[in-house]
Amino acid sequence: MNLKDPNSMNNILGIVLRSGVVLSGAIIAIGTALFVASHSLDDTSTYLAYNPSLVPHGNFPVSLASIATGLGSLDPFSVIALGFLVLLATPVARVALSLFLFAAEKDRMYVYLTAAVLAILLFSMLATPLIPLFNG
Amino acid sequence: MIVIEFFLTLFVASIAAGALGSVVGIGGGLIVIPILTLFLGVDIHYAIGASIVSIIATSSGAAATYVKDRITNLRIGMFLETATTTGAIIGAAIAAYLSATILEAIFGTILIISLIPLIRKIGEEYPPKQELKGLAKKLNLRGDYTERDGRKIEYDATNPGKGLAGMLAAGLISGLLGIGSGTFKVLSMDIVMKLPMKVSTTTSNFMIGVTAAASAGIYFARGDVNPLITAPVALGILIGASLGTRVLVNARNTAVRKIFALVLAASAIEMIIRALGF
Repeated sequence: MNLKDPNSMNNILGIVLRSGVVLSGAIIAIGTALFVASHSLDDTSTYLAYNPSLVPHGNFPVSLASIATGLGSLDPFSVIALGFLVLLATPVARVALSLFLFAAEKDRMYVYLTAAVLAILLFSMLATPLIPLFNG
Repeated sequence: MIVIEFFLTLFVASIAAGALGSVVGIGGGLIVIPILTLFLGVDIHYAIGASIVSIIATSSGAAATYVKDRITNLRIGMFLETATTTGAIIGAAIAAYLSATILEAIFGTILIISLIPLIRKIGEEYPPKQELKGLAKKLNLRGDYTERDGRKIEYDATNPGKGLAGMLAAGLISGLLGIGSGTFKVLSMDIVMKLPMKVSTTTSNFMIGVTAAASAGIYFARGDVNPLITAPVALGILIGASLGTRVLVNARNTAVRKIFALVLAASAIEMIIRALGF
């Protein structure tokens, strides 16, 4: 694999995307199996309650710390959340790798454009959840 | 409803949503949201959170194939994505202050408007050859792809400025409604920028994943991404999307546009019925 060759960069991109999808799918499937194993006959209303006055609105882990704790005890909802986070990482990886793809094609204009998209994307994913304006 | 029944219903519906979404360049939210709210009685906020997941799953699930077949135009997608991600952030900031009813009304109206320009060019297989000029030339907004029968199709984009404006609107809608607004993206590329339909849908497929990822952090932190809903949705969509890509690479542009028009019409009717309170 040559990072300076556009064709191999395109292949690397394809492999990373496929691996991300397979990995996230596998983790979510494990989480689902764990949940179904012990709760398949539960009534869904217990899990679907939405509390508009509370943040977070539901009764499941959303912070990285609580997901990590949940993973230790194989909590199904934490496992599913982990799978979702891996899935979420694939479009980010796609943009990041496109940066190298355009660099390999020596297309400076698109290296800058892609860097701008990556910056907006990372700002939006990482910073906005911490800004009160976005958390109504 | 019991858990296993809920899972199976959503799983099967999501396979269909993923297959359709990956062909026509939308995120499957148009299918997943009404199924959750109309048939499964799920709160609209959870439905929107599930839609975000379905968009990313559709986009990533189909991406590997579209990258390999090189139908997606990464340059055009990346250029337009600067506007969609910006719009998505603004939309997500306003969304917290709007009620579900208003969101649904906007949703329905958008769909109806989308239908008009599409029907006008329903039978067009390839866009007429354009002259690459101005901003489109500067940004090299052109490309080619190879049909399965070996023919190389070359195309040039027109109206990049208007396309970019359409994408800013698409991003706003994404942030507001949690849909991928793939419909707007496909329409901007098909109608305004005059790209071949398959290039429009696969490039939209790339873009919706990035746009949805931009607002996913917000929805996740709020607690709108409910694992009970997102697990069967993500699994079904990933399977459906990989099936859909096999259909797209062999399909004719006119066939893809017709399917796209049908999906739009069906969704519009669904949302009108809902908006009227039935």
